[in-house]
Amino acid sequence: MSVSASVELGAKLALATPVLGGATALLWRPDGLRERYLRYLGAMHSLVTASVPLLERAGARCAELDDPSARRLAAYYARHAEEERGHDDWLLEDLARAGSHPDPTPHGVVVELAGAQYYRIEHEHPSALLGYMAVLEGHAPPPRLADRLAATTGLPSGAFRTVREHAELDGGHLHDLYREFDALPLTAHQRAAVSVSALHTADLLTRLFLSLAADPGGSP
Amino acid sequence: MTGSPTPEPSLDALAAAGFDLDTLSEEQLEVLRALTPRELSLLVDIKARLDEVAPEVRAHADVAGGALF
Repeated sequence: MSVSASVELGAKLALATPVLGGATALLWRPDGLRERYLRYLGAMHSLVTASVPLLERAGARCAELDDPSARRLAAYYARHAEEERGHDDWLLEDLARAGSHPDPTPHGVVVELAGAQYYRIEHEHPSALLGYMAVLEGHAPPPRLADRLAATTGLPSGAFRTVREHAELDGGHLHDLYREFDALPLTAHQRAAVSVSALHTADLLTRLFLSLAADPGGSP
Repeated sequence: MTGSPTPEPSLDALAAAGFDLDTLSEEQLEVLRALTPRELSLLVDIKARLDEVAPEVRAHADVAGGALF
């Protein structure tokens, strides 16, 4: 049986998705949610700060390779970088509207998440970033989450722009990503590297959410 | 004469880790049979993380969902 690259990746991620869902269930539990949401925003700001630079570095790395997938992949990364540009500012604005500010020291797991991708781009293959992106784009906030968080935390509606707008944006982004993945002439080894990148990302994000969920509180 | 079941090391390892494979399609199972050792190890690690907090997760399952951008 031969399946497409995206079906193969989706079958593997289907096992990780309930785990990430469980971790977010703890993240969004009502007790202490206000403080936890602010810490979540701070961690997401650190993570999203790396999104466009990662895409740009992966695109630049493609240009250095003599590889049949490199040109198309570089064009996709350039397009997606423009779609993601400025989203870290949305998180800063959400933090400000919530009366908070970004943490100058990124969460250690955020550093591991982005750092692993820099390694893969430089020393493995820039297509590995697709696995990271598939997990992020594939676990967008559900449509009513922002309203629920606002009601529980008592924070102003304007503090939830990033959660609200990504519920609408990321479904289309995942579709685009899978279409590109299927169209790229990747080797079996490169496809496997995308899967490992995705599963590693899911594992680290589970750790990040469980860490944020377990934080006893206080000022973020 | 009946032969021994064909060894399914990846599926056996996933089942032993607690993944419910009964609801998966044959296409999904075919993909999982071909997992590399690294992929299998990551999936087992991910499952173990959730198992550590499973009772709490069950108590708050109504608010599960994505949180990523």
